Amino acid sequence: MDKNRVNARSLIEASLDPLITINTRGKITDMNEALANTTGITRENLTGTDFFEYFTEPQKARGVYQEVFATGSVNNSPLTLRHKDGKLTDVLFNGSAYKDEQGNVLGAVVVARDVTEQKRIATELTEAKIAAELATKIAETAKIKAESATRIAEDATKIAEDATRIAEDAVKAKQQFLSNMSHEIRTPMNAIIGFTKVLLKTDVTAKQNEYLTAIKLSGDSLIVLINDILDLAKVDAGKMVFEQTPFKMALSISAMLHLFEPKIHEKNLTLIKEYDAQIPEVLIGDPVRLHQIILNLLSNAVKFTSNGEITVKVHLLEEDEEKVTVEFAVSDTGIGIAEDKIEKIFENFQQAYSGTSRLYGGTGLGLAIVKQLVEPQGGSILVESKINEGSTFSFSLNFKKTTAEAEYVTEIVELDLDIKGLKILVVEDIVLNQLLMKTILEDFGFACDVAADGKIAIDKIQTNTYDAILMDLQMPVMNGFKATEHIRKIMNSTVPIIALTADVTTVDLAKCKTAGMNDYIAKPVDERLLYSKIVGLVKKSLQNTENKLDEIIETKKLKCIDLDYLNRRTKSKPELMIQMILLFLEQTPQLISTMKQSLQDKDWVLLSASAHKIIPSFSIMGINSDFENMAKQVQEFASKQIESDGIPLLVFKIETVCKQACKELEFELNVIKNTLHE
Amino acid sequence: MSKENKIKLFLVDDDIVFLKLLEIEFLDHADFDIETYITGELCLENLSNNPDFIVLDYFLDGIDKNAKNGIDILDKILAINPDIPVIMLSCQDKIEVAIDCMHHKAVDYVVKSETSFIRLKKIIKDLIEHRKLEKTLNWYMDRI
Repeated sequence: MDKNRVNARSLIEASLDPLITINTRGKITDMNEALANTTGITRENLTGTDFFEYFTEPQKARGVYQEVFATGSVNNSPLTLRHKDGKLTDVLFNGSAYKDEQGNVLGAVVVARDVTEQKRIATELTEAKIAAELATKIAETAKIKAESATRIAEDATKIAEDATRIAEDAVKAKQQFLSNMSHEIRTPMNAIIGFTKVLLKTDVTAKQNEYLTAIKLSGDSLIVLINDILDLAKVDAGKMVFEQTPFKMALSISAMLHLFEPKIHEKNLTLIKEYDAQIPEVLIGDPVRLHQIILNLLSNAVKFTSNGEITVKVHLLEEDEEKVTVEFAVSDTGIGIAEDKIEKIFENFQQAYSGTSRLYGGTGLGLAIVKQLVEPQGGSILVESKINEGSTFSFSLNFKKTTAEAEYVTEIVELDLDIKGLKILVVEDIVLNQLLMKTILEDFGFACDVAADGKIAIDKIQTNTYDAILMDLQMPVMNGFKATEHIRKIMNSTVPIIALTADVTTVDLAKCKTAGMNDYIAKPVDERLLYSKIVGLVKKSLQNTENKLDEIIETKKLKCIDLDYLNRRTKSKPELMIQMILLFLEQTPQLISTMKQSLQDKDWVLLSASAHKIIPSFSIMGINSDFENMAKQVQEFASKQIESDGIPLLVFKIETVCKQACKELEFELNVIKNTLHE
Repeated sequence: MSKENKIKLFLVDDDIVFLKLLEIEFLDHADFDIETYITGELCLENLSNNPDFIVLDYFLDGIDKNAKNGIDILDKILAINPDIPVIMLSCQDKIEVAIDCMHHKAVDYVVKSETSFIRLKKIIKDLIEHRKLEKTLNWYMDRI
């Protein structure tokens, strides 16, 4: 063996892949160490044995080597070698036949490449791939699930939100509906009752008076019914809010009883009032609702009593550091209630006897409301009654004590003939109500101006001075709240403003206060209450601004200018107003002095010209047209060169009014400048 | 609206209060580019600004004896540019004054009052309309 062959042999032996030579009959003729290792059989034992016996699939192996002989070679045919101990080795079978010099096939060289490692890697790869695919799939599923979960959560939230919104909308709609309905019903009722009252005051025959009284009474009871329904609805909606404001109880109750007096007198009943002097003067509670409770009890007492007396008692039950407990009782000598009916009378639309309504009227809502008003405030209502002897309704409520000043409470004042000539602005969009308010106010001896909406009202307030403003709340263009806010915040006026409202919900009252209104009065307007409120507020604001007011009255009396026209022309733009006034102040004194000079010089042409020139300014500044005519006269006389005795007087008058106008305009100028700076 | 598209309007009156009021009205009501002059002389000096319309007070020489009256100014304006419509304005509601203005080829005559602005606006609107029609007519005439 030469050196090359030795080298080749050692290379073959070094290969980790089994290398085998077989003869044409498939017997192993030679091999390397790798085959011995893979099969676990010694080289001696392997030599001469059948090659295919060492494979797991001998038939296939035989087929493969037969193919080698048939075609000359085989590439990468997968087979599995078996170790004698059972261990399997995956191989790729590559073989090629070798031939002698004459081309006769002698045998084949076979390489069984060990692919265990590759297979393992491949398997692992596949597994990894599958795992990865699986993971991806899981992730995707998870993602989808998460998405759908999110979506479900979102949907749920949305549904919940929708539900809440719908519920809120429903409550709002209900409240709105009630508010609107009450407005819509009360507005015409206001006119009906108001004009009936006005008509009753005129000369009417006894018959007419009877009919009118019937209309008024029906109207009154309809209003009561509407109010009752509204109140109950509010309780149902949980909207009944009790205020906690300091108020003077004694005053509050006597004011209310005062309102009731005509009815009591009408039926020839006696009203007995007992008020415990120990009750602190100012307490914290809800005077409006307290009124309502007592009013309902009292109206029942009056309704069911045909003769005798009605007693209203207010007693102090308990008092400690923080609060007092006050008992209220309303007794009558009326028809009484049977014991077994007492439970029933507090239910909605229930009266003690089905016949009661026919006999005495009413809807049976009064006591239900009383109960609804007393119980949420922590009180309870008690009834003692005997048929044909009378009933006593009593309840007790707690009130917090306070050192705070009571809020302004209207005292009922009788028509005072000394208080006349107050100028009131009525802001109201409904023509009928405008007329009604005008009639009532003029009855009081007040002057009355009307604005159809908040915008117009503001324009009017800018040019006129009013002692008080009656402000409707629901109006087109600019409602009462916005107008009041404007008057208070932008115009900085403290003029008393009383809200005229058809819908006395607590929400509105709070809004009135926030906007800066001083008080409110419900439609249909009770004349005496209206009068009292106006007079009370005007007196109060008079006290506050006594000196200021005097000044204002002073200037008001002498005012010769009226900026109404200028306001309209300039759209109340302060800058333009200022420009106009400044120009007037610049030109007018010059013209006046020219007029005087020319008069002195008997320069008729110049006098005529200057008189001529001053004319347009008069109407622009709203100066009385008398002066315009005077100037025209001067011009006329002068142009005809007729010396008239009248001219110097006319010129003097024009001069006086112009000086006055300049003074007033200077004042206005400052006012406007101030508004500009704010 | 750009300045070019605006109607250039000259207001001429020696009554500065009334002049200002007119200015305010025009500024507020429509797209006008306004120049105000307190004398006719000043108006003439600025005629090169090419006003579309002039509102001219009739009685300009009342106080200032040296000032030219409205009619003189009107004549001068039309001498420079006969196409400018001039609307005369006066306190006097005398027929003679109106006739005088018309004879001097003013396009219209308005008495000063609280409503003179509305009249002026209407006149100007009509004049613009008229001018438009004239233009359209000329356009068609050229093509016949």
